[in-house]
Amino acid sequence: MNHIVSVSNVSKNYNLGQVVVPALRGVSLDVAEGEFLAIAGPSGSGKTTLLNLVGCVDTPSSGTVTVDGKQTGLLGERELTRLRLHTIGFIFQSFNLVSVLSVLQNVELPLLLQRASTARERQRRVLELLDRVGIREYSKHRPSELSGGQRQRVAIARALVTRPKLVLADEPTANLDSVTGTNILNLMKELNQSEKTTFIFSTHDARVWAYASAVVRLADGQVQDRVSAEEAVRAGGLPVGRPA
Amino acid sequence: MRGYLDTLKVIVQIALRNLFASRLKTLIVGGIILFGSLLVVVGTALVDSVDASMSRSVIGSVAGHIQVYSAKSKDELTVMGGMNMESPDLTPIDDFAALRRTLLSVPNVNAVVPMGLSAAMVTAGNTVDVVLERLRDLARRKLAGEDVQAAYESEKDHVRQIVTVLSADMDNVRKIQNEKAISQEDVDAVAKAASAELWAGFDSDPYPALEFLENRIAPLASDADMLFLRYLGTDVDAFAKSFDRMRIVDGQPIPRGQRGFLFAKWVYEQQVKLKTALRLDRINDGISKRSKTIARSEELQRWIKQNTTEVKEIMLQLDGQKTASFRRLLQGELGSQENDVAKLLAEFFRVDDANFARRYHFFYDRLAPQLELYRVRVGDMLTIKSFTRTGYVQSVKLRVYGTFVFQGLEESHIAGELNLMDMVSFRELYGSLTPERAREVQEIKAMAGMKEVSREQAEAELFGKQDLGGAASVGSAQRPVDEAETALRSLAGRQQRVDRASQPYDPAQLEQGDVLNAAVIVRDPGRISQTIKDIEAAGAKAGIPLHAITWQKASGLVGQFVTMIRAVLYISVLIIFAVALVIINNALVMATLERMPEIGTLRAVGAQRRFLLSMLLVEALAVGVLFGSLGALLGAGIVGVIHAVGIPAANDILYFLFSGPRLHPSLSPANVIISLSIVLAVSAISSIYPGLLAMRVSPRQAMQSDD
Ligand SMILES: Nc1ncnc2c1ncn2[C@@H]1O[C@H](COP(=O)(O)OP(=O)(O)OP(=O)(O)O)[C@@H](O)[C@H]1O
Ligand SMILES: [Mg+2]
Repeated sequence: MNHIVSVSNVSKNYNLGQVVVPALRGVSLDVAEGEFLAIAGPSGSGKTTLLNLVGCVDTPSSGTVTVDGKQTGLLGERELTRLRLHTIGFIFQSFNLVSVLSVLQNVELPLLLQRASTARERQRRVLELLDRVGIREYSKHRPSELSGGQRQRVAIARALVTRPKLVLADEPTANLDSVTGTNILNLMKELNQSEKTTFIFSTHDARVWAYASAVVRLADGQVQDRVSAEEAVRAGGLPVGRPA
Repeated sequence: MRGYLDTLKVIVQIALRNLFASRLKTLIVGGIILFGSLLVVVGTALVDSVDASMSRSVIGSVAGHIQVYSAKSKDELTVMGGMNMESPDLTPIDDFAALRRTLLSVPNVNAVVPMGLSAAMVTAGNTVDVVLERLRDLARRKLAGEDVQAAYESEKDHVRQIVTVLSADMDNVRKIQNEKAISQEDVDAVAKAASAELWAGFDSDPYPALEFLENRIAPLASDADMLFLRYLGTDVDAFAKSFDRMRIVDGQPIPRGQRGFLFAKWVYEQQVKLKTALRLDRINDGISKRSKTIARSEELQRWIKQNTTEVKEIMLQLDGQKTASFRRLLQGELGSQENDVAKLLAEFFRVDDANFARRYHFFYDRLAPQLELYRVRVGDMLTIKSFTRTGYVQSVKLRVYGTFVFQGLEESHIAGELNLMDMVSFRELYGSLTPERAREVQEIKAMAGMKEVSREQAEAELFGKQDLGGAASVGSAQRPVDEAETALRSLAGRQQRVDRASQPYDPAQLEQGDVLNAAVIVRDPGRISQTIKDIEAAGAKAGIPLHAITWQKASGLVGQFVTMIRAVLYISVLIIFAVALVIINNALVMATLERMPEIGTLRAVGAQRRFLLSMLLVEALAVGVLFGSLGALLGAGIVGVIHAVGIPAANDILYFLFSGPRLHPSLSPANVIISLSIVLAVSAISSIYPGLLAMRVSPRQAMQSDD
């Protein structure tokens, strides 16, 4: 099976002044194409750190990260940026939309950066996606005029607009009420099925695991285990024995 | 290509929206830029215009484009605006013809005008002298049997009137100041002049009395009989041709081949005109041109005060008949019963805002026709005494042919302080060896049996060693006089050596003699600095070592004035834009810091660093272009308004700088281009640091923004 992401024995230390904080300690993880992988773990366990390394916005202290066949440690700044632009889509925990641009322009932005399509092609693609996430009528609005759930949909649309092979979502439901959260997860799952896009998302919300093809459980910067969604749910939402 | 354009569109869009989102900051930064570019446009337009008009003034009045003088000279040449009275010490260039040939061999040289600058104290037009001379003449004719009895009596009467005025004046001074303010000798002299004995025998033998009056009384009336004149000796024809702004106001140009003197109109008005009339003119100017009022201007009040206290100047001119006429006119005008004309005059000159205009006209219409308004009239002879280079006093008597102005510079004293005289007379005053002089030297040589006479020796022989106070020497018919006394003595022409005034000269002499400097008019003023090099090279080749200087340098402080204003302007522009740079930079840095998450997001989504850099650059440039253009536009508008209205020249220095009564500055594309370039450069530079900051933002910062 083809691994779109391969993390091998990765450690990541943060230097806080004199203190070295180990965020990840020898993590290894393979993600196959088309997976809908959840990363679970309590706060501070290293979920965001791991996603950052996979998303090429950070580099490991040791070990290797391979994304779409490219070892990120060997790439330069420009190539990493290109990899982010063409291969990876991000859905941020706090949406991170460009406040001065409209919904449509926010979603169009990665396409523009790619400089590969005509204005008409872009227009069609953006509207198609907005349709898909159900906020087409808001295309002219500014992000500040939308609700949290609507903003998250815009963020999803922006992450998917370039048809990336890999979408990384950091706690996509954390800022949403449960109904909206469920809707968003349904949408992501649907896209995962229809577009064969690989999803990796972090969460410590047990209800979310039900959607995942597998759940990787992190604790103290180490991979505890990798279980099926059913197993994870059966474990009662406390997969690593510590209350969230 | 299209991709780039579309990206640019997004960049511009994000940039503009960011600017709009932080409107206040944008407006503050924009305001500074607007002010800066406005200042640059208006400032450079003004300075350029002053530069252009001033160069017209300087080039068109005496300097020409280039001034040339001997490289052996001790001093540097300045032809105008010199602060000191002394003319620069220049070594003469002996052969003007050779100089002209040399200069004309440089292709860009169009015309050459020979010149020499000097200054002299000139005795002129003491009223009493003039009257006494007339009386002497009439007495002579009467004794010779001519029928001039009436005129003779009238003139005699006038002299006695003068003595009365002087006597009253002395009493006054002694009363106001103290007994010793006037020497007893002078008091006695006036008493003697008023005495019956002096006049009893006058009709039969007037000469001793006249001698006494000339020597003792005339100097007492010498309140303003010394003129300090700066003059330019030149080929007057060539001068008029090359400096075509020169225009004769009174009289006529000096005829070719004639000796003569032309007063600068400004000097003629300021120095030669009756002081009372000059002050009335100034008051009139102050009221009509500078909208002053007598009630509020201390200056005008001072002139009025002087007019009321210094009526002696007019009184001396009045003989019996005129005194009566003035009494009648003034009594009528003032509705007064007063009989004393001096008091009537004082009353008449005590003007206020209500009656000034009427009295001003009354003065010129009714009183002035009976007065000599100018101490030296066109057609009069003027005796100019000057120190030659070796320190001897030389004097030349010249006919005053008229007055002249430089068109557009009528009221500038900088352009108006130089009078003109023919080159031949100038050389004589300067002590050059003219042909006449050479002949005399020849005679001296023959007499002394000498073989060689140096120029200095010749001069010593010619003019006599006056500092020895005694021994007059060969060729001099004059009485030996002590120098201090010379200055005091005021009868024009009394010490004349040889009257050459009416002797014409051969125009060829203009070419053959020496000159101190020469003005060069070029064909292409754009190539002055190259032409200067060419001239100096040509001079060296021809064995005439030359200094050639630009009109800016030749005009001394005046020429550097614009350079100074320009420097001040540029420094203030520099300061303003330095401040602008700091403020814009700070604003952009703040904006960048505020937008860290957004920038991180853009980076995480796949924007390269140069995208962000372009974004910030576009932001800065957009503000720069928008507000810079607005500022330039506004500046252009202001220049347009100033152009239409004109800046009035408030004083004579501005008059010269503006080359006329008003400056009408005009805008050139260069002003706008400079302004916009500076604005754009400042905008671009000010976005460098925020750009670097933005580039250092890591995409991770965006992903952690929830912390
Ligand atoms: N920039 C940083 N500097 C220093 N320490 C960091 C930094 N980012 C993360 N850490 C530390 O690394 C460890 C892992 O953090 P990380 O953000 O990956 O956890 P997380 O699982 O995402 O937690 P949460 O569920 O709260 O988001 C924590 O102990 C955190 O304190
Ligand atoms: Mg996290």
